Parts: sequence; structure tokens; C-alpha cells
Amino acid sequence: MRKFKLNHTLVSFLPIIVFLPITYQIINDFHIGGLELFIDFIKSAFTPKINKEIINISITRLNETLFISFISWIISIIFGSVLGILSSDIFYKFIRIPLFIKYFLRYFLNIIRSIHELVWCLILMQIFGINISIGILAICIPFIAINAKVIREQLELISEEIIESITSLNGDNFSSLLTLIWSPIVKIIKIFGLYRFECSIRSTVILGLFGIGGIGTSIFLSFQALNFNEMWTYIFSLSFLTLFSKQILKRLKVKRINSNIILAIIFISILITFSCLYFLINLLINNYYLSNLLLSKTIFLNVFNFPNDFLKSIFNTIILAIFASGIAISVPPFLLLISQNKYYIITLRVLAFIIRLIPPTIIILILLMFNTPSLSLAAITLGFYNAGITFKLLNDNLSEIDKNNYSAFKSIGIPNRSSWLIGIFIKESRSYLSYCAYRFDIIIRETAIVSIVGSIGLGWQLKESLSSFAWNEVFIIICSYSSIAIIGELINDKIKSNIV
Amino acid sequence: MKPLIELNNISYKYKNKKILKDINLKINEGEKIALIGKSGAGKTTLISILNGIKKQTNGDVKIYSKSFNNLDNSQKSKIATIWQDLRLIDDLSAEQNVNCGLLCNQNLIFTLKNLLNISTFHKAHKCMDLCQLQSSIYSKDLKNISGGQKQRIAISRSIIQEPEILFADEPFNNLDPKLCNYLKNLFISGLNNYKIKFPNTILFSMHKIDLIDGFTRVIGLKNGEIYFDIHKDDLRESYLENIY
Repeated sequence: MRKFKLNHTLVSFLPIIVFLPITYQIINDFHIGGLELFIDFIKSAFTPKINKEIINISITRLNETLFISFISWIISIIFGSVLGILSSDIFYKFIRIPLFIKYFLRYFLNIIRSIHELVWCLILMQIFGINISIGILAICIPFIAINAKVIREQLELISEEIIESITSLNGDNFSSLLTLIWSPIVKIIKIFGLYRFECSIRSTVILGLFGIGGIGTSIFLSFQALNFNEMWTYIFSLSFLTLFSKQILKRLKVKRINSNIILAIIFISILITFSCLYFLINLLINNYYLSNLLLSKTIFLNVFNFPNDFLKSIFNTIILAIFASGIAISVPPFLLLISQNKYYIITLRVLAFIIRLIPPTIIILILLMFNTPSLSLAAITLGFYNAGITFKLLNDNLSEIDKNNYSAFKSIGIPNRSSWLIGIFIKESRSYLSYCAYRFDIIIRETAIVSIVGSIGLGWQLKESLSSFAWNEVFIIICSYSSIAIIGELINDKIKSNIV
Repeated sequence: MKPLIELNNISYKYKNKKILKDINLKINEGEKIALIGKSGAGKTTLISILNGIKKQTNGDVKIYSKSFNNLDNSQKSKIATIWQDLRLIDDLSAEQNVNCGLLCNQNLIFTLKNLLNISTFHKAHKCMDLCQLQSSIYSKDLKNISGGQKQRIAISRSIIQEPEILFADEPFNNLDPKLCNYLKNLFISGLNNYKIKFPNTILFSMHKIDLIDGFTRVIGLKNGEIYFDIHKDDLRESYLENIY
């Protein structure tokens, strides 16, 4: 019997089956109660409010956003690099310090990375109150761990032969280490570090929706007041900031930077980092609520006294992550398969940009105009938000791919869709799936964002427990989030190694 | 009789360099043409213009009395090409690659079935057998296949299409002399036990001069121009010396 083969190309489409249960639930819960509001929302996109006052607010809020994202980006790059080096194998080959530090750091970083910045933000807000420094700290915690992991992985790619050639020179240990790690670190900061700035802006906006400041706060307040014209002004000004920063980063990426300039940048960044840390610690000390400290002592008390539907919340969070990933993986190739018309692709690019721009919290609130809160609604929100990101990546990569096979198939009359599938997409599907596996890690962490608003999963439970200062529940929820993310990451590593 | 393919004053420029200069050519049905010339003479570019991959800078190309862009898919499916770089799909097996030649007459479902490896491969196997590919490689991935076998897979993919016109750019690369002769004769005669319909009109670009026996017409290209366009029997040694 012929062996059935499921290659990477088809696996990319397979997750589309998640739409079956999702569509069923969405149709069942559908209502038109918010139709008027939705029409108003769409209409307002074409008539954003523009006056001197709004423009001034936008500029101030953008400044705040830029400040939070820039500072947290710089801090996370500096500390991420240091911790990445300290947790790498190569460091311990040259510097003689106990090995347990490496393992401790790795586990510690794994745990803090697995929890989304929004969860950190909510906890810190409850302890220290609302201020900008909380936003910076909340972004920094997971970002430092993410950067450290990426830098460590890059350093592990340094071959044994190169290490041997440097050690054979019998130079000073620290100098030898620096010689080996300098280029890989500069390279990864240039490629990955610059991209993290974009992530930092996105996270700042999301935290802003929960009151931390910046343009996100203005978007949320205007949305809450149903002042959609004003909200669109803020969203458009955010798009300006995103596009502007993207252009600058693009130029920086291709520009060849002199080593002296790199050293100067690192020096200045370290100065900024430590000055900011000084102010940050001061601010936190001044805003620290003693009552919360006392409450926080109850963390380890009654840890087993969690709510009855806690297991259900964990299950919902896992299903939410799987459904959202299914949408994020399968929708972009499916949409691109439908047509290769130039104008259709441009329309998709614009839609993907808008979806990436509107924070998921707002997307779910818009969808709630037509539906009741449910797992499917949360999955659609998170799935399409991430599909905006996977679409951009896929489309960018496909446009750079060699189209020889595609044109060869077209020339013998093979229909457009088949030609696209076997002439273009088949070449990219492997790396696309590999990226999607990485995206799945992020989606697991991001379930916190939609579940807080969408009344589903652990996020909702976290919000409830934080509001009632039930620190024992908060502790269990954090452990659960962390466990789900770490297990998900382990499974993903396995999948990724199979794909490659 | 109207020619099957007609090229009028075709020129092709790339980065201000003229690759083809004022090519005029008429190809009638049933002609077996050998296109010869040294590397860089413009053979690949000419084939790429004939099969619609490249757009000429000047002049017009007519196939079935239409420009390539105006041909519908069923007409395009009657034109096959064997590419110099083969253009096979690395992620598919040998037989799946050969089956890709059938996609022109099929819908997306057939493509999906081929990708899932649940399509029928009888015809693909016949074509591969005609190209002397052993059954042991039918289901092998391209990664584990030699250059000569890949060449024959590309040839099989063009045969399965059962085209009326075949353009081939160095189709016998990577093959030993015996196989080259066998495959050339197969294309010239079209005779086979499987009743696979072979193209009646062929244009092969070739380096190996010893393979031009059996062709009806020989076209020599030099520096992007047609240096000679003669019946095979009129070919003289001096012509070849001038173009190489």
C-alpha cells in the first residue's frame, strides 16, 4: 500500500481544522446587539479627530510610549547579553567559577521568561501602584530572559575548532573569551536585538491598555468612552511611530557600523541602563505599599486552597493557545493560496498591518459587540493578531524566494494556485513552520492578554485573584502559567528539531 | 501552411547588453530542430522567450498564431520545457516530481493528492521506465538521487505532459553517451511500448554536436544572432568551426 506522506507544505494548512469548533461556537453565540456601535467604529476610522489638543496629547503619549519601550529595550539588551554570556557553556570554559551558577541561571531565566510581561505588570501594579517604572520593569523581566536565551543559543554555535584555535594561543582567559564572543553578540544584537525594539513598542502599548501610560492608555480610555474618532487618531499616530521606528531599524541593520562606534553605543547604553535603574528603584521604593508587603507574606500559605474551576482554567488556557496557534499558522498560507493578484496581496498586507497595530485587547472588545465572551472568541482574537505577524513574515520571505519553478509551472499551463503551491510555497514551508513553532511559545504567553479581557482561562482567574489580594492563588496561577509555557517550549523544541 | 511558432525581429537586452539581436524564425509542425552555439550565445534566452518566461525587448513571438500571454492554459499545456537547471522540487519524491507534469490538466485537488502521495502514479512510472529509471528510485526523495537520475526525472516530467511542442535546454547533461543517444532517438522517433504520445515538434539546445543526427534542421547561434539556419544534411564542418 502506498505510504501516505504529510509534508511541510500540507502541515501548514492542516491547523485550519480548528475553525470547525470555533465557527460552531461563534455562530451559536452570535448577536447583533453591537452593530450600530461597530458601524460607528468603522466609520470613525475614516474621520479621525484632528485638532491641536488631540495632536498634543498624541505627541505626549507617543513620547511616553517611546520612553518606556526604549528604556526597557536598552536595559533588556544589556542585561540579556550579560546573563546570556553567564549562562552559556563557553563562559565556563574560560572563567573558573562553579558550574551550578550556569544551571541556576538557566532555570531562573526559563521561569521568568515563561510569564508574559502583562502578568508581571499586573502583579507589580498591585504591589507598587501604577507608574511608568512598573511598565519598564514588567517589560524588562521577560525581555531580559528572552534576549539571554537567544544570545546563549548563538554563543553555543561557536565551533570547538575555533575555541581550540583561540585557546592554543595561550592568551589571557578573559581576552580569549571576549575575542570569541564579540562578533556573535554584535551580530545577534544587530539582527535580533533591533527587532526586539519593535516588540518593546508592542508590549508598551499592551501594558498601556491596562493603565501604565503611553499611547495604549489613551487608546483604551477613548475606546471605553466610545470616542472612536479620537481612538483612531491615537491608532494612526501609533502606526506612524511603528513605521518610523521600522525605517530607522532597517537602515541600522544594513549599515556597517565601526567597532569604535559600537563600543561607544555599549558604553552609553550601560550608563543609561544604570541611571534608569537608579531612578526605577527610587520610584519603586517611594511607591511601595507596606500593606501589600504584609499581604504578600501569605503567598506560601494555603497554596492548595485554589478555586474549584482552576483545572478548567488551565485546560482552557491550553486549548486557547492551540486554537490561536492553529489560526496563526494556517490563515496566512490559506489566504495567499486563494489568489496571487497584486491588488489582493496589497489588501492583505494592509489588513495584516492594521491587525498588528490594533492591540488584541481592543480587538476582543470589538468582537464582543457581536458575541458573548468565550474561548473561541479569545482564540480568534489572539489567532488573527498573531496571523498578522506570521502573514508579514511569510509574505516577506515569499517575495524574496527564487520564482524559477513557479514560472516554469505557469509556462506549461498549470493553474495559478497549483503553481504557487508547488512552485513557491513548498520552498518556504519548512522555515515557515519552524518560525510558527517559535510563535507558538509566544502565543502561550500571550494567552494572558486575551484571557484577562475575554473572561476565559488563567488570565481571568489571575485578575480576580489580584483584585481580592489572594496571593496564594496568584502564586499558583503564576506557577501554572510558567509550567504550561515551559512544557510547550519543550514540545516545540522537539518539533523544531524534527522540522529542521 | 502557417508556421506553428513565429519569431519576428526578436531582441533581448539585459543590463544594456544585447543578448539576442533581431532573431527571425519560423518553426513548422513536425520539425526537429537542434539549436547549437557556444556558451553565452543566447540559446537559453531564446528558449526562455519561446516558452514565455522572458519577455523580449523588441519584436513579437507567435505560438499557435497567438502571443504567449494570450494562450489559454490548455494551449500552454501542449508546450513543455526541459530546463537546464531542471527545476525539480527537492521536497518531493521522484514520482511526485514526474506527476507535476500532469498538473496542467488538473485542478487543485490533484495537486493536493500528489503532495499527499495518494495520487495515481501509473503514467509517471511508465514515463520513468521509458527514461530507464529503475523502479527502486520511484519513491525516493530527490536528496538521495544522482545528477543523471535527476536529469531523467526532469525529462520524464516533460514526457508525461504529452506535449505537442518541446523546448529543451541542454537536456542530456549529466547523462552517459549511451543514454544520450537512446533518449534522443526516443524523442526523434516517439516510438514506445506504452503508447505515450511524444512531441511532434522539438527544439533542443545542445553542446554535443555528435547528437545532431536525426534532427531535421540545425540553427547555429553566435553572439545573439542566427549564424546559420539550415537543413541538417547541409551542415558543414566550417559552419561549426565558426560558431565555436
